[in-house]
Amino acid sequence: MKLIAYILKSLWGHRARTMLTVAGSAVALFVFCFIQSIQEGMNDLKQRQEARGSLIVFQANKFCPATSHLPQDYDQQISKFAGVKDVMPIQVFTNNCRASLDVVVFYGVPPQKLRTARDFEFLSGNWSDFETHQDAAIIGRAVAARRGIKAGDKFSIGDLSVNVAGIYQSDNPAEENYIYSHLDFLQRRQGINLVGTVTQLEVILKPGTDPLITSTAIDERFRGGPVETNTRAKGVFQANSLGDLSQLIEMSYYLGLACVGLVLSLVATTTLMSVEDRIQEHAVLRTLGFSGVKVFGLVLAESTLLSIAGGFLGVGAALITLKISSLSVGAEAVTVAFIPSLHLAWVGMLLAMVTGICAGIIPACYASRTEIVPALRHV
Amino acid sequence: MPLVSIKNLTKQYHKGGETITPLDSVSLNIEQGEFLSLMGSSGTGKSTLLNLIASIDHPDSGSIVVDGVEITTLSRSQQARWRASHLGYIFQTHNLVPVLTAYENVELPLLLLPMSRSERKKRVEVAMQAVDLLDRANHYPRQMSGGQEQRVGIARAIVKHPEIVVADEPTGDLDAETSEQILDLLKRLNRELDITMLMVTHDSAAAQIADRQFTLDHGKLIQTHNVTTAAFATSGDQT
Repeated sequence: MKLIAYILKSLWGHRARTMLTVAGSAVALFVFCFIQSIQEGMNDLKQRQEARGSLIVFQANKFCPATSHLPQDYDQQISKFAGVKDVMPIQVFTNNCRASLDVVVFYGVPPQKLRTARDFEFLSGNWSDFETHQDAAIIGRAVAARRGIKAGDKFSIGDLSVNVAGIYQSDNPAEENYIYSHLDFLQRRQGINLVGTVTQLEVILKPGTDPLITSTAIDERFRGGPVETNTRAKGVFQANSLGDLSQLIEMSYYLGLACVGLVLSLVATTTLMSVEDRIQEHAVLRTLGFSGVKVFGLVLAESTLLSIAGGFLGVGAALITLKISSLSVGAEAVTVAFIPSLHLAWVGMLLAMVTGICAGIIPACYASRTEIVPALRHV
Repeated sequence: MPLVSIKNLTKQYHKGGETITPLDSVSLNIEQGEFLSLMGSSGTGKSTLLNLIASIDHPDSGSIVVDGVEITTLSRSQQARWRASHLGYIFQTHNLVPVLTAYENVELPLLLLPMSRSERKKRVEVAMQAVDLLDRANHYPRQMSGGQEQRVGIARAIVKHPEIVVADEPTGDLDAETSEQILDLLKRLNRELDITMLMVTHDSAAAQIADRQFTLDHGKLIQTHNVTTAAFATSGDQT
């Protein structure tokens, strides 16, 4: 600790190099956190649905919400299955079926069913305004932040207009990217009459119910019926809906690792350059009585501090940007939120520290093992 | 008992197919508080002898005992610890750490010793006062003249109250007037603080401030002048 001033002054003494390294490390950690936040969002989405135990019934062999049309009365039949707690019919409308960073997804649902199925907390507005007005909608916090929507506003997208009855937040970040309106309203939106059909049914299971058995039973029940169904656990359904996007998100893990590799090579190169520039200075320190281990520690501390400083800036900037932007990515009316979690912050900082240590090992060995006398003559 | 006892010290280098012997069975005793100078042409091994006494180089054979410690057989880390507490080194090119102030440069060796902050402060101030640079404590090396830098280097060498200070051409980079000031300072510190000093120099005038003067020639140590009557030995012959 007594040598911390020397370490900091050494870094500050070469401030251009230090700042460029910290900036490079920060950019790499920023990208790492951005990439990992979508991974976090994906994992969160899967884990939540697995834990909650709900199924999605979709029309068999259909993939886009615009093409799935299930008879609405299927909900009555499914609700009689053993282990089923409730069934919520959902009409889906989205402005974009393809992958997008600003997809707007409307879920038309019976308000009273939504109230029991979701645990929303209103930031503004209330349930009763939503329940009592046919053209009312409640909007997730993330969509509202992205689009600058407030309670009381009129929000239109394409030929669909709703009055905003409230802005809600949820403990499920993905839910904050949806807009909920009345089922009837969405079935009768301008120019279309879909009364009697819904896009999908969300089946909420009682605790302890086996989702696989129930989903198989549902699909068996409607096999050969007017519309065949494809029932999956909600997490599986969402992962399938995201399709290629899901694979891209998984691929992004390797991009994250590449960012870590970038930090490693950047800090290692800079530290090695710094050590080569200061061969004579390190030899002087050792002549004064600094042991090889001490010089090793000094170099290692420098590389670790560089990496941690970059990590702190990069991780901090990424988390703030993600928090402010409320970003999500969606496809087929399923959205995945970019989650700027505390866990991600810890992982980012830990990686920065470990990377800094690893990057410093070779330069530190070089500095600590160089022969003193030739190093003193080094110019 | 001498403070430093060097016996049959030999050091060889291999350059291409040739073997160079800068030190050939050199023996020397240095008493506490003595000031020795060592002269010789370039490449005769003056700095090699200095570096061996400073334990930053290793002899091929022979021994160096400083205050009862055989330093050539110590491990690298033991040698580092020994240097930290017992040796002061003055470089020709000052070799101050450029990012540290004069005060911090002088304080640097004390960071390795078990010492409180207040004790360090006291010692640094005394050392800087001794070289008459207390008013430049917060200056960086780039803000000082060569002579001032060398005085900081001297303060750094004496601050830990070492048993011996070795100086490798301490005036080699300075003009005549500044050289004279530095030599006066070294002599004063030697007398007032009873610091044992071994100085390597090219300058015969500089060498004359020493109590005993030696020349290295073809690996052999030859005494050329003796102000005191202290015992010495050359090339293994105790005199």
